[in-house]
Order: sequence, then structure tokens, then C-alpha cells
Amino acid sequence: MAYPVSHKTVFVLDHGPAMMASSKENIDFDVFNKSRGPGIIPLAPVTKSLWTCNAEAAVEYCRIVYDLFPDDKLVQFVASDTSATSLNSWQHKQQNVQKLLDCLVVLGPPGHKTDPSDCSIVHGLTHAVEVLCELTEKQQDVRLALEETETTLQNKGRIICMTSLKSDRHVQSLQEAVQEAIIQHNQLSANADSFMPLNYCELVFVHVRPVGRKSDSISSPKKSVSPLLSVEVHVTDSGRSVATKVVGLAQRHYELFSTTVTGIPMKEEQNSGSSANYDVELLHSRDVHLEALNSGNTEGLLIQSKEGLPSQSLTLKWCTPKSNIMELQNCVGAYRVTPVDVNSRPSACLTNFLLSGRAVMLEQPRKGGTRLISHMLASHGGEILIHILSSTRSVLEDPPSISEGCGGRITDYRIHDFGEFMKENRLAPWTDQNIACDPLPLQRSENHLERMTRVWPIAIGDTMIFNMLSHLDPLPSLIVKDKLDDDEVLECKKAIYHVVGMESRNEPLPVPNAGLRTKGSKREEQYRQMWTELETLIKVHVSNSPQHQKVLDCFTDCHKTDGGNTSTIKQRDEAIMELETDLAVKELDTYQKLTEREKFDFNKGNSLSQPQSPPVKKIKTESFMFKPVPSSSSPQSLHTMWTNRLKAVHAMRHVEFAGRQESNDNTAELYPKLNETKSEVPL
Amino acid sequence: MPTVILLDVSLSMSRPVKMENSAGSEDYNRRNLAIHGINTFLDALSVKNKLEYVSLVIFSSLYEQLVPFTRDYILIKSTLTKLTDFDKTSLAIGLSGAASTITDEWGYSTPSQIILITDGSTGVGQGSLKQILETHKQMGIGDKDASFQFPCTIHVLCLASPQDPTIQASVSMYKKIIDIYGHGGEVCIPESTLSLDSTQKMFCQFFEEHCSPFHGVLECGHLECNIHIFPKPQVYSKSHDFEDVELEVCHNIKIVGFLDTSDVASPPFISRHLVFPLPPQTANTDAGASDEAIGDTGKIPSFTVLLHGSLKVENMVAICQVGSEWYGMLYSWADPHKKKSNLMLSIFEPGVKSLPWLGKFTHLAPHQIFTASPYGEDDNKTPFPVKITEKRSYSLNHVGWIKPAGLQADIQKVLRHARKLPEKMPHFYKELNRVRKAALSYGFTELLDALSAMLDRECRLLPGSAHPDAALQLSHAANALRTEMARDITQTITPMSTKYSSIINEAR
Repeated sequence: MAYPVSHKTVFVLDHGPAMMASSKENIDFDVFNKSRGPGIIPLAPVTKSLWTCNAEAAVEYCRIVYDLFPDDKLVQFVASDTSATSLNSWQHKQQNVQKLLDCLVVLGPPGHKTDPSDCSIVHGLTHAVEVLCELTEKQQDVRLALEETETTLQNKGRIICMTSLKSDRHVQSLQEAVQEAIIQHNQLSANADSFMPLNYCELVFVHVRPVGRKSDSISSPKKSVSPLLSVEVHVTDSGRSVATKVVGLAQRHYELFSTTVTGIPMKEEQNSGSSANYDVELLHSRDVHLEALNSGNTEGLLIQSKEGLPSQSLTLKWCTPKSNIMELQNCVGAYRVTPVDVNSRPSACLTNFLLSGRAVMLEQPRKGGTRLISHMLASHGGEILIHILSSTRSVLEDPPSISEGCGGRITDYRIHDFGEFMKENRLAPWTDQNIACDPLPLQRSENHLERMTRVWPIAIGDTMIFNMLSHLDPLPSLIVKDKLDDDEVLECKKAIYHVVGMESRNEPLPVPNAGLRTKGSKREEQYRQMWTELETLIKVHVSNSPQHQKVLDCFTDCHKTDGGNTSTIKQRDEAIMELETDLAVKELDTYQKLTEREKFDFNKGNSLSQPQSPPVKKIKTESFMFKPVPSSSSPQSLHTMWTNRLKAVHAMRHVEFAGRQESNDNTAELYPKLNETKSEVPL
Repeated sequence: MPTVILLDVSLSMSRPVKMENSAGSEDYNRRNLAIHGINTFLDALSVKNKLEYVSLVIFSSLYEQLVPFTRDYILIKSTLTKLTDFDKTSLAIGLSGAASTITDEWGYSTPSQIILITDGSTGVGQGSLKQILETHKQMGIGDKDASFQFPCTIHVLCLASPQDPTIQASVSMYKKIIDIYGHGGEVCIPESTLSLDSTQKMFCQFFEEHCSPFHGVLECGHLECNIHIFPKPQVYSKSHDFEDVELEVCHNIKIVGFLDTSDVASPPFISRHLVFPLPPQTANTDAGASDEAIGDTGKIPSFTVLLHGSLKVENMVAICQVGSEWYGMLYSWADPHKKKSNLMLSIFEPGVKSLPWLGKFTHLAPHQIFTASPYGEDDNKTPFPVKITEKRSYSLNHVGWIKPAGLQADIQKVLRHARKLPEKMPHFYKELNRVRKAALSYGFTELLDALSAMLDRECRLLPGSAHPDAALQLSHAANALRTEMARDITQTITPMSTKYSSIINEAR
């Protein structure tokens, strides 16, 4: 288990008046006057103060850290003058560059009027020790988790102090102050809740001097002062060099490596017709190039950083994007990247290109002309990652095809149906933190799959009912739900009666062409099998809800397994009768609730579906087959609309047929005896 | 995983073995036993795990790769019959030779194993086991340079009798070596006196423990299928910041749902495995479904085959759970050379957040529970990728002036708008305030004065044909930059309201 020093970094920025001294590096800012003809004298260059350069460098360090490690690498700014001020805290929401910039505005540049003798960097250093003793959110979580395992959390951190140092003795006294502070704060925080003694601290001094000034060599490599503290001193010029120095430190502190993407084709700024090739340098975890670095096979790949970083950079060549980037790549790792010079035009072009959703393959230029595509740049949800593509031989070469193995010779898998099943079981992220999802969303996904697969024959030849969905719809898709409403129960019942009707009419079942793997090709056999399957399907879902029980009840009423004697058939017919009454009443209600206009549309729909039938018959059909008008019907002419309207009016005025008025389900039964005789005829 | 059979062919291997029970039969030497053992091992592989690549490397004071990595085990067997004797045992040479044959072929990320077959004599002098250990002691334990930089286990199969007085010392030295190289392994010695039987037994046991195929069950709700996963998934053992993770892939691979291939977007995986369906009955008994058996099982419907077919047709992947808080995906994969399709399992880095653009794995919900379908009414949307909450610097229009070019570009933007006043007035003031805010953040107040001087000059340089409002706005902005108000971040420099600007506004 590792407790990295880099989890917590405190930047101690010297905010004393001495830092207002000029960096002595001139910056020409008035440079674009050439095209405006002669006579324009450029304005005098500006210079940044030491403070400005330090602040820029520290912010750049944070920019890189936050871009690459947004979760567990934290940085806190402390300004030190007559006292110490924390600009942000360890809290996650305070860990971003924007927050730091806002705080720097509020802090302002060092005041000229402050008495230099009141200012000391020691204030900042001791405060830094104090904030390192504070536990971060992550550390608190880990401490809680570790309590069970009897191991203790190690609290480590790093202080980067940007100041100007006077002498070796000055360094000596500062490190003693820090050592003293650690011991004191460790005692104070021993029993505190959100504090913890510091186990180890790395103190890094960055001594900044104005450009051109010689200074005594107080630079010193990392050395251990005590088990609690190590100290190192870096010396740098102010101006651009300080940022380079600090970014170099970031590379070391977070084990970063640089990649230069070469040959990026880009339209030229001045002359948009032509295009030239540019390079962009990116920073990322060292692990991205582990394969190349381990094998030592980096000949011709490593160059000195073009952005002036004190490190080498590995070159990868831009490959013209492929169109089919959506296929799965053989990707063995993905790491966040950030451009070294985030503002430059080539960087912005590359990042915008990637953020727009496209991906770029990168190849290693090899001697001998062989192409080796080793990486891919792509963005996901707003951040850019470099993907490592496997480039070595795979142990998966040349496997036997799946069709040569078990189950490979079957040709009637329900491939298409399972495709639909997969689409029905697609996942989506539950991102709303405010609404709790209980049980966990993934558990609900599993439950859903469980319900959907209780009966799911995998081959066409294994099933009757899933080959006759047109007859059973919507029962198979409704029954798998965890709840059914009354309408859905009715729909299920309708489907059951439909099949009952088919059987009583002795209609053939749609048997799949591919040879059925079950015995019996006689119609009764097929019906028997169909009923068994249907029963299984309904029974496995019966406990989903009480409504499901109703469906099963209906099924058992209709289909008693003990053979169809007359009484059950009678029961069944009664049940059908009852259902039909239900349906009729229901639909009549619906009709009553309709507005004139809806009634008109409703009637129109029916007249359209049966254009030949005389208007008298319509009400009968309406009450049974209330179906929405297919919206795809072709636009009507005014004439048909008018005639329809007239027909509807007539229909309303029409006097009900006496036979139907007497019947109890609004249906005039024709030949009432016919049914009876049929069922009583001995077989 | 690729296996190197690293066979000791030093002279000591030709020592004869005393056969207690087989009086009268022909004599064997240790090398004969080794060959017998290797044959046993290869036979087991060809029945149960015939996709494994094996290479044969021999060593003494030099090493040689006799057979490159192959699935043609017969070739290795026939090569074994042609061995001759060489000089002394130099384990350092042997191991580094085996290591380089692995990295040359498979790179630094494929898990592999070395099976060292030797006689328990650890060598003398340069390259001997003792010397490796001593050099290592001098370098200090934990030195990274000493260990293999690629995941490779070392197993030592020692052809020596357990009664041999020196064997315990050798075994503990082998164990130390395994520790030094850092990826685990085992030392085996025969259970009884050295003989053909005990050797065979040792190799069989070793095979069962380390090279037997990985069998499991693929589940999707109630649909399930016995499967063989190749190569065998490795134990995940890694020391992360703040936690050590040690996980084993569970034998029930449970599908939790499906995603479109474009939504998972080439996720990184730690390993990839082929998934072969097995017939229902053989999973728990003798799993080695040989060719004849497959002939019969081809007609048994298999969920794996159905899943593969549908994933391929619909271009989708199945997300599955492979362990506690550990996930992977199943998809159809075609061998780039042979165009044969197979079901592939990619295992992701453990953890519920290992693919940030899918959100947390535990928060993947069935799309039916959303009030509005996240895939849209006509399947024209996608809820992926999950967007990051904090934008990165490259999508924030971050201001950085470390290089003069950055500063110049920002100044240039202000100027460009300044020259197109009053049309570009909103842009001009927006850029001006952006530069001003950055200058205040970095305490770069010198820039405000410089900018003010620059705007004054622009005002003077305005051509006669310029709109009168341009001059007014420029001098207004230049003056504003010199005031105390410009140094107050809560204030913004706003356009001066002139009669011209109101005309322009009305015109708009």
C-alpha cells in the first residue's frame, strides 16, 4: 500500500514586498504592427514582477496536476507576508484552477507599503505544516476503512516554497523552523478528529532571482534532515525559466512523461489556403510509454522537449484519422493528457479536434519504414485521454471459430430476437445524485434481466409460442413486467382468448419451417405443447404482482389441463362472455367520454377501416374494436370528410336494432343455438 | 499464457537414476525423466488447453531457444529426442535467456510463465544460484532492476529425490530466486523417490494447479452456458495509492446489461480472453471436450453462440461482472487474419469507476426506469459518455502568459476588436475584461497601464473615416484602465453610452 507524498502539496508563495521587484525579463506585447505601415513606434515592453512569474508558475503546476489527476492529487496555496493566508482548502470543490485564480485576485499583488521586516516566509512554512496535518476527504475515508484492518494511515505531504533565499544559513534556519513546526503540530494533532500527525514531509525550495543576477550556488539535491523531513533547494531565474522549473518539478513529483505529436496538419493562420504541419507536446503519466521505455527500444523516438521542459519527449506521428473510429480498439490502457502549452494555436486545434469527438491514431516512426500504430488520442465526456494500443503479438492468434465449437452447428438461433432483447436491456447511467435509486441501479438492471429471461428459448425450433407472437401479442411482452395495470391484464386475457378461439376453430399453428426439435407434428400435439409453454410463461411471472395472478386465473379458467369436458368449456365460454362484456362496457365508457370532435375522428377511423360496410353495422364494430386511427392514413379530401361527418351524424340518430337491445352484452347474437349444438355434438 | 520450458541440459542431468522397484529394466538418467515429464505435461495441454503457446529453451552455461513459441506440441516432443549433454548449470544465463525470449515475442504486458526443469544442483561459480543471490544481496533487496519488468511467474520442477540431503537447501534458494524476480511461482519436488511414476505425478499435479483451463458459467438472468475462458484470467494484485487490491476473477461471469459499441468507446482493459462454449454436462466433470465430443455437442443449443451472433449483428457489447466491484465486457471479435469470429471477454481495471465515461458501474440502470428514455423515442440519442463535472484547462479558455506568445495573442484579440469598433463593441469589452481579470489574478498591473497606452495610440491612429463612436469608446476604455476601478475585480469595464451607441443599439 502506498501513501504518496504527492497526495497533498502546499505551495508557499512569498508575498512580501521584495517580490514586487521586476523579473527583469522584457516582454514585447505590441508586435503586430508590421502590416500597418511605417511610422508606428512599438510601445515599450512590459516586465512582470517576481510575484507575477511565481504565481503563473504555481498556477501552471496546478493546471497540469488537476488536468491529469482530478481526484486524488490535491494542491493548496498559502501566501506568506506578515502572516500566512490559505487561498483554498483541501475540499474537492476548491481544487480547481479557476478557484485559485479568483483567490489570487482577492489576495492581490504584494503591497509596497508593507514593512519588509515584518514579513517572513516562516509564517507560510509553519502554516503549511499545519494544513498538511489536516486530513483530506480521501484520507478521512481511508482512515475509516483502515480502522477495521488495524493498519494506520500514513500522512505525508510536500511543501513547495517559492521565495528568494539569502544564503545557506537562511535555508538552514528555515528547515529548522519547519522541523520544529512538524514536531509541534504533530503533538497538537495527535488526538484531533480531522487532523493527523505528519509522518513525512518533503520540503522543496525554489529560489527565484531576477534574470541576469548572479547568485551564490545554494542549490542542493534532496537530502534527509530527519525521518520526518527532507529538503532540496532549486535555483532558477525568474521570468519564463521559473515556470519551466516548476513544471519540471511537477514531472518529477507525479512521474510524468512527455509525448510530442508530430506532423499535425493544420491550416496556417495568416494564409488559410495552405496548410503546414505542427507539433504539439503533451504531458501524461509515465506509464503511457512503459512498453517502449522497458524494452529500451526508443532509438530515434526520444527528442529534447521542444517546449523547453527539462526532459526528453517521445515522438509519435499523427496518422490521418480513419473514418471508422467507432470500432473497438485493442486498448490496454488510457491516461489523461494535457498540452504543455495549453494556449498555443496548435494545442488548441488538436484539443478542439479531439473534443469534437474524433480520434487520432499515433504511430511510432520506425527505421525501415514499418508502421507501428501504438497509441490513440480520443476524448471521452470532455476529457482527452491517450490510449495505449497493444502492438505486441497476441496469445489469441488463430483461434478456432465459434461455429466449430459447442452449439456451433445450430442455424436457427433467435439471433434477431435476442438483438431486440439486448436493446431492451440497454443500460443508462443514473447520474442524478439527488434522487436516490433504491435498490442500486445495477441491481435493478440485474433484476430486470432476471425477469426478462425466465422463459427465453434460444432456438427457433425450441419454441412454439415465440414463433406465433402475432397471435399472442402483447401478452409475452406484458407478462414480464413487474406490475400490470387493469388494461394490460385485459390485453393479456384477450390474447389468451384469441388462442382459445384459434383452437376451437381448429386453426393450424404457425410451425417454424426449421425442423422442430420436439416430437409430435399433429395439430393437437402442437396445441398441447403451445399450452404448456404458455402456462410456463405465465406461471413463472405469477408472483410479480396480484395482477399477474389474474392472468394466470384466466389462463387456468380457459385451459384446464385435465381435459376439456363440457363444464369447463361452458365455464370458458362464460369467461369469454364476461370479458367481452367488460371490454364493451369499457369501450362504451371511453366513447361517452369523447368530445364531439374525437367521436367524429373515432367514427371516421372505423368508416375508413371498413369503407364498404353500411353505416348501420358500424356501432357494433366500434364497441369491439376500438383502435386508434392509423395516423399514416392518407390525407382526406373535403368531400370524404363531409360525407364522414354526415355518416357520423346519421349514425348517432340511428335507432338500435331490437335484437341487440335485448342482448346483455350489446351484441345481438345471431343464430344463438348454433354454438350450443356445436359444443354438444359428441365427438 | 505463454510458457517457456526451460530445461537444464548440464552434465549433471545425465546422472543415472537408481530405480528401486524396476530391477532388470533399463536405466534412466535425469534427462530421460525430464523428457518424460515434459511429454506428460504437453499431452495434458493438448487435451485440455491446446491454445497455449509453448517454447523450449535449453541452458547450461549458455542458452538456446530450440523451439520458438508454438501450439505444435509434437514439434517440441520430437526436438526433445535429439538433445545432447552440455557443461555446467548457469541459472542466471538460463533465466535471462528465457526472459528475453518472452519479451521479444510478447512484449512487457502479457502474463507468462517459465517452467524451469532442473536436478536440484544449483551450480558453481559464475552464474550459479548462489552467486545470483549474493549479487542481489549486495544490491539490496527490493531493487527494481533485479526483478522482471514483465509479469512472469517462475516455477521450478526439481528432479531430485525428497530424501536427497542437499535438496532442502536448494529448494529454499529457488524460493529466494522466485521472490527476487517478483511475480510469484512454486518449487515442486517429487513426492517419493525419483522414478518415472513420481516424475509423471509431479508434472500432472503441476499441470492441474497452474495450467489447467479456466472453466466457468456465463449467466444472463436465467440464460446460462458453461464456458472455457482462454487464456486463464490472472489474479489481480496491485498496490494502489491508499489501498492494496487483490482480486480473483470469479467463475460466474454475470451479464448485467448491454451497451452500444460506440458508447463504450474503446475502453482500456487489463486482459482479453476468448470465451468458448462448453456442453452442459462436461463442465464439472472432465472438461477436456475433445474433438469427437464436439462433434456431438455442435447440435446442442448454446447461449454463448446466440449471444455472440446477436452482439455481432447489432454491434453491441454485454457488460458483465467478473468479480466483486470488477467488470468486463463481452463482444464479438474477429481474428484480423483469419476472419473467424469469436466471443471475447475484455476485463477492465477493477473498481466501479474504472471507466469514467460510463459513470459508476453500480449506477448503470435499466433504461426503462427513466421517465424519458435516455436513448430517445426513436433511438436517436445516447446517454453516454457521462460528462466530467469539472472542465479541464484545455476546454476552459484558460489564460496563460508564461510565454510571450500567449500574452501577445490575447492583446492581439483586444486590438482586432478595437479596430472594428463600434461594430465589435461587445467583443471588445469582453476580451478587455478577460485580459484585465487575468492580469489582476497574476498581480500583473503593469499590463493594465501598457494596455491603456496602447488603446490611446489606437485612438490617435484612427483614420478620418472612422465612426465617431470608435474614438469615444477607445479613450473611455483607456481611461477606465488607469482608474482604481480597473483594479477592483468586482467591477467590469462597460461600454460608454453615447448617442451613437444608442443609435447602433436601436438599429439592432
